[in-house]
Amino acid sequence: MAGTLALTKAELRRLMHNKRYFIFTVAFPVILYLLIGRQVTAQAYGVAFGAYYMISMATFGAFSGALNGNAQRISQEKKEGWIRQLRLTPLPANAYVVTKILVSLATTVPAIVIVLLLGRFYGNVHLPGWEWPVIAVTVWFGSTIFAALAVAIGYRFPPDQVQPVTLIIYFIFAILGGLWFPLSGFLGHVGQFTPTYQAVKISTDVIQGVAVPAGLAVGLVAWLGIFAVLATVAVRSTAETV
Amino acid sequence: MSQYEMSYGASGSDGGGSEDNYHGRTATKVAAGAAAGYAAGYGGSRGGPPVVTFENVSKHYGRLRAVDGMSLELRAGETVALLGPNGAGKSTSLDMLLALRKPTSGRIRMFGDDPYHGVKSGRVGAMLQSGGLMPEVTVRDLVELVTKLHPNPEPVETTLKRAGITAFADQRVDRLSGGQTQRVRFALAICGKSELIVLDEPTAAMDVETRRLFWNSMKEEVAAGRTLLFATHYLEEADQAADRILVINRGRLLADGTPAEIKARAGAKRLSFRLDKVDEPFLLGLPGLVNLEVRHDVVQIQSSDSDATLYAILDAGYRPREIEVTSLGLEQAFLAITAEDDAANGHSSGETN
Repeated sequence: MAGTLALTKAELRRLMHNKRYFIFTVAFPVILYLLIGRQVTAQAYGVAFGAYYMISMATFGAFSGALNGNAQRISQEKKEGWIRQLRLTPLPANAYVVTKILVSLATTVPAIVIVLLLGRFYGNVHLPGWEWPVIAVTVWFGSTIFAALAVAIGYRFPPDQVQPVTLIIYFIFAILGGLWFPLSGFLGHVGQFTPTYQAVKISTDVIQGVAVPAGLAVGLVAWLGIFAVLATVAVRSTAETV
Repeated sequence: MSQYEMSYGASGSDGGGSEDNYHGRTATKVAAGAAAGYAAGYGGSRGGPPVVTFENVSKHYGRLRAVDGMSLELRAGETVALLGPNGAGKSTSLDMLLALRKPTSGRIRMFGDDPYHGVKSGRVGAMLQSGGLMPEVTVRDLVELVTKLHPNPEPVETTLKRAGITAFADQRVDRLSGGQTQRVRFALAICGKSELIVLDEPTAAMDVETRRLFWNSMKEEVAAGRTLLFATHYLEEADQAADRILVINRGRLLADGTPAEIKARAGAKRLSFRLDKVDEPFLLGLPGLVNLEVRHDVVQIQSSDSDATLYAILDAGYRPREIEVTSLGLEQAFLAITAEDDAANGHSSGETN
């Protein structure tokens, strides 16, 4: 466990020097919120647009951070043999993946905190105190499950293919999840099955003060299960080629 | 002695084939005999439990037998070279030893445990050809990190000094030259107080000077009582650094012994002379003969006992001219052993052993 923590610390230190990570996870959602958050007066998902957009942007930043950074890094580190090198140390076999997930759990936090603060003080979103942590945790959970998907992609694809693969997934879950704009009609129906939509909708339902449908929470947990299975299979099936 | 006669019989039965055929079959017997006879004898001469054992280990990829029924034993304090051409199964063997791959069959033990737990106990330090480094950090940060993973670490400064990387310890890992990177990877292999060090082609990316420095520091590690296993295809390296050489080819262990013994097993001397009336069957029956080449009146004999060979020729009443006896290096010995194995493999896979 001490080894896993040492590796996690080293990974976090690396991340601090990574500009790309901050652009994807923090800069994009902040800029979009500043541009759009106060411009729309209509309601979305039954709450003020500023509140909806705060939640969708926090989810957007966190989810793209969990997906983009890790997939590329894992694939690169697998190709270069760093994963292999770690397997020759006394560090337990699963510690590398555990570390990547731990780092993801931590890296999605800044985007969520900053965007929620922006919503409160720039977007004038006023909520009862207990709703803030509920929203934050919901968004955090709904986006961090993509860390598991990132592990699956990183193990499965070589670095030059990771970029297009993550980009496709990124667009699908951002658009169908209604992160950039609320969807309706056919796409809106399909989008209801995405974890990104489910995380946003649970949060807006909390703000709206209506009962959260159990299906949404079940959906999120199911996605975690799917991503975890994909990750496990990818790691196991590539064990001898790492 | 009898094995040479047997193999002569085998090659003679197809009507006295080409010279290459004699060459092929005779030495294969020697190599196989060396592997079988010698492996058993060596372990007993040193005390203590084995550091590593392979019990009939095989690794197959589809129809390819990367490692094929390998059995061996390493004892504490030995410096052992795993010598073989590219594709012989060196890396696959080391990968299995280090729990990166699982054997298709057979059993590997490290310190009496399975390879995975052996590696995780921190009692082995390893450097493989394909091991990469974490980018974006300094050399010192990286060595510190891996040192922290060890239950029984060396001080970081000691490791940096031993690996000769103190001078560029504050440089970023991804900005090093190939030789520097290799030394950092070596540092990661020795940053714990490991009892066994495993190195796969450790000097592949090094220039001559770096290679010399590397082996000097390696000797210090071994002098401290560590066991060293390294794979190489540089014969010189195996000859100079190792006190025991395992020759492998096509995934099988062909010979196991000290450099001097390996040379002797393959017929370490070449005897050449001119003889007017060459009697091939007589020559093939000579003691110590491993290989015979006859071209007109020029006879070349590779022999494991050149004195006995020569005396037998003289005793039979022959008077050869222009006699020359030359020593064969490890390189010729190695080439002979592997070439014979390849040839034998082509005509019958069931004949060895």
